[in-house]
Amino acid sequence: MSNKRYAMVLDTRKCIDCKACTVACKAENHVPLGRENYRNWVMEEALRGRYPNLGQEFTPGQCMHCANTPCKRVCPTKATGVNADGIVTVENKKCIGCKYCMTACPYNARYYNEEIGAVDKCTFCEHRILTGREPACVETCPTRVRVFGDLNDPNSEVSLLLAKHPHRVMKPEMGTKPYLFYLI
Amino acid sequence: MARLLEKKVSRRHFMGLSSCALATIAIGSQVKVLKALAKDGRIDAPTGLGSKDVYSSCGMCVNKCGFIARVKDGVIQKLDPNPEFFIRSRAMLCARGNAGVKVVYDPDRLKYPLVRVEGSKRGEGKFRRATWEEALDLVAKNMNEIKDKYSRASVMFASTEGTFSEHFFTQLAECYGSPNTLRHPTLCLSSNIQGFGATFGTNPTPDVLNADFIIMSGANRSEALMTPDSIDLLRGDGGKRKLIYLDPRFTKTSAKADEWYPIKPGTDMAFILAMIHVIVTENLQDQAFIDEFTVGFEQLVPHVAPYTPEWAATECEIPAADIRRIAKEFAAAAPRAVYYQGRRSSFMANDTQMRRAMAILNAIVGNWDTKGGLIPNANIELTKHDYLAPWYDEDIPGRLDEGSVTYLSEKDGAWPAFRDRALAADPYPIKGMMVYKQNPLASVPNRAKTLKLMEQMDFICTIDITMSDTAWYSDVVLPEATYLERQDPLEALGGIVPVVAFRQPCIPPMFESKESLWIIQEIAKRLSEEIAAEFDFTMEEHLHHQVKHNPQILEDLRTKGIYYESTEPNYGRTRGTALKTKSGKIEIFSQKYADNGLDPLPVYTRPTAVPSNRYRLLVGRHAYFTHGTTANNPYLHDIMPENTLWLNPVEAQKLGLKNGQMVKVRSAVGEEKLKLEVTQKIRPDSVYMAHGFGVLSKAQTNIYGKGGSDAALIEEKYCPISGNVAMHETFVEILPA
Ligand code: SF4
Ligand code: SF4
Ligand code: SF4
Repeated sequence: MSNKRYAMVLDTRKCIDCKACTVACKAENHVPLGRENYRNWVMEEALRGRYPNLGQEFTPGQCMHCANTPCKRVCPTKATGVNADGIVTVENKKCIGCKYCMTACPYNARYYNEEIGAVDKCTFCEHRILTGREPACVETCPTRVRVFGDLNDPNSEVSLLLAKHPHRVMKPEMGTKPYLFYLI
Repeated sequence: MARLLEKKVSRRHFMGLSSCALATIAIGSQVKVLKALAKDGRIDAPTGLGSKDVYSSCGMCVNKCGFIARVKDGVIQKLDPNPEFFIRSRAMLCARGNAGVKVVYDPDRLKYPLVRVEGSKRGEGKFRRATWEEALDLVAKNMNEIKDKYSRASVMFASTEGTFSEHFFTQLAECYGSPNTLRHPTLCLSSNIQGFGATFGTNPTPDVLNADFIIMSGANRSEALMTPDSIDLLRGDGGKRKLIYLDPRFTKTSAKADEWYPIKPGTDMAFILAMIHVIVTENLQDQAFIDEFTVGFEQLVPHVAPYTPEWAATECEIPAADIRRIAKEFAAAAPRAVYYQGRRSSFMANDTQMRRAMAILNAIVGNWDTKGGLIPNANIELTKHDYLAPWYDEDIPGRLDEGSVTYLSEKDGAWPAFRDRALAADPYPIKGMMVYKQNPLASVPNRAKTLKLMEQMDFICTIDITMSDTAWYSDVVLPEATYLERQDPLEALGGIVPVVAFRQPCIPPMFESKESLWIIQEIAKRLSEEIAAEFDFTMEEHLHHQVKHNPQILEDLRTKGIYYESTEPNYGRTRGTALKTKSGKIEIFSQKYADNGLDPLPVYTRPTAVPSNRYRLLVGRHAYFTHGTTANNPYLHDIMPENTLWLNPVEAQKLGLKNGQMVKVRSAVGEEKLKLEVTQKIRPDSVYMAHGFGVLSKAQTNIYGKGGSDAALIEEKYCPISGNVAMHETFVEILPA
């Protein structure tokens, strides 16, 4: 079987900041309680304009599963790696909790999980993908902001969306080559 | 619809197996908690090893979304949305639905029957663990004493929607012989039911998915989630859809709207009447529809003559040109257009008439029972559960709140009117309070009065899953099994596409919690043989009875978590049939209202002006909590740990107040302290706070001492027609704390 190149495409125009994705992720991945512990988040962007002419956007984020991984580069024990399908991984047992990767990640996507004694972050819900299910955040999102799939398959929904719509990535100037794409 | 259904299927099957290796799965914190509890002997070790999927319905809010519980080794690991529930919930779970798993494993949940320690005062929170036997005996003893000393009507029964088991509780009230049931509608939507009911004979559902043009007055659908509306608003036909949103606040719905108008609170009716004015003066109405299906259009035309857009502009602070344009766009989009009535319609004391105006506006452009308009609810029939309340020879008076409002619902009652009469023992005293999952201390305006009401009780019993404020002030607290642990009866969910839902236990009830039917049966047994006889059935028998006419319903629910007969709406069912109004037609002019001394056409009344140095207090919901019931949930608490008071920067500067500082908010009935949030997102004449904080119950350990309670501040004005509370008629003063 050929390898995948997993990616997520987000249409933030539909995001209502309901945070279903955040709670689903916490529950799915047993992320410890606490406001600092999360694998994904939704940013309430700064309010535009002045009363009564206002606008606001909400931007979900998580590990961008970069092709050029600053986190992996700084990991002294090779706990952080990238698997054959493009998913950036952390091997708990190898992680010594030095948190270099947390500093290196330009997206603040990593946190230290006290319960497992290792740095943790989004895995694209790899364990769910393996059984043919969508990532928890994708499945639960009410307005279907999030689409997940394989960019190596030109007919996948993610490929089709990217082919059809202009899009951007976060902090392109960092050269990380993220695989979370935001439709414009 | 069809398009979305296809998407559902492709979403389910879109992925093949991956070539990557299995990731290490973190040890579930739930398992840790359980193991620790089992070690202490506090619960049995998890049984039923192995994995299973259980189909059931969410109990975190009124929407009842379908989920699949992933259960492993007797522990609920995760609640996933049920794709089969697409028709209703669009196969999603919101933040609350996802947080449901913590309801079961929350250390703050009710675990055992509790009895207030003898000699302690209510509200001190001194409870001791009791056996079910003792607690139930105490409940029955007190109920019997009150009926002997006063009458059966002197025990009130307060309960809430959404549990699927509420009718067992109201049946208990009826069998016991009390007419005094108090349900949630007068704290929520009774003016909507009344206003739309008087016009259409029913409160219809807006076809959000297919409407091209939607106007909403404060129905904050991106935060006050209603399925499928909240989803369809964003997922429908994308660019074609236009959303006009009126709200004194910049909500998340404002952020998604095509046009947002910070309307002056309480003036929505002026906006609507002016729209009607434009439509009838420019002859944009659907005359053929009006002629065939309505009565009273000829009275409407002169009635709205004075309500010009120019007049409305000065009332509601929306430019006349915009009102004119919106009216024309609305009429042009009709019948695929809706003035969306929303659910919580407890804004002002004239709310019923305001909803009438909305209904009339929809009617004159023909937005009725047709694709993209207002659709009368369809329903799937279940076999009714019949019972015969025992006959008592004694004199039992009628409802305490009888005659307090024009249209009182016999089952629902009118909360604030009832409370006033109960406080005055007029015409008779109320001495016992049985509560099933309602939380009047958090939900009924003027908390101080509710506390007084509770003070005068000889006995209070609360059945709940959590130590609500009301439970905290009770004498006996009975722990119900949570929605993830219990079997609930089937419930037909009416709507554009009706479905049937139910709940089945994902795991057995933990600790000593019990299904509500069992609790009620045990109380019934202790009250009398006659009452017990009316509860002489098992849950299983009840379920089979409900589907006697069609066993497939239960079969589908057990295996798929939902039953439906069609995935497509059936438009136009009422065409050619008489509506449930007096005339059988849509009543623009209401003869019924005229006969009752009410305005037969909605007459605008200007809201009381905000006094100087005061602000109008607005309340509202958001997507993270349901009313006063879920703010203590650990996952949800992580998202929003407290509420704040919103104040416009211009006003903050005037008052010399800074963002983030603590402030005192004072109304005529109470004072609360909370953090100030200085934000552009609100009109300068109003302040806003979210519902669900400022709790009295110290057993809600995450949120006790955080934020302020809106119920403590809101005055108990109400709509004289429907009895619905008016939550936006309170003025407050803001002082540094
Ligand atoms: S679940 Fe979807 S709509 Fe809700 S916050 Fe997350 S991305 Fe936005
Ligand atoms: S893909 Fe899975 S791990 Fe990643 S953010 Fe979504 S739910 Fe969390
Ligand atoms: S909207 Fe959310 S809380 Fe309400 S039933 Fe659905 S998932 Fe549950």
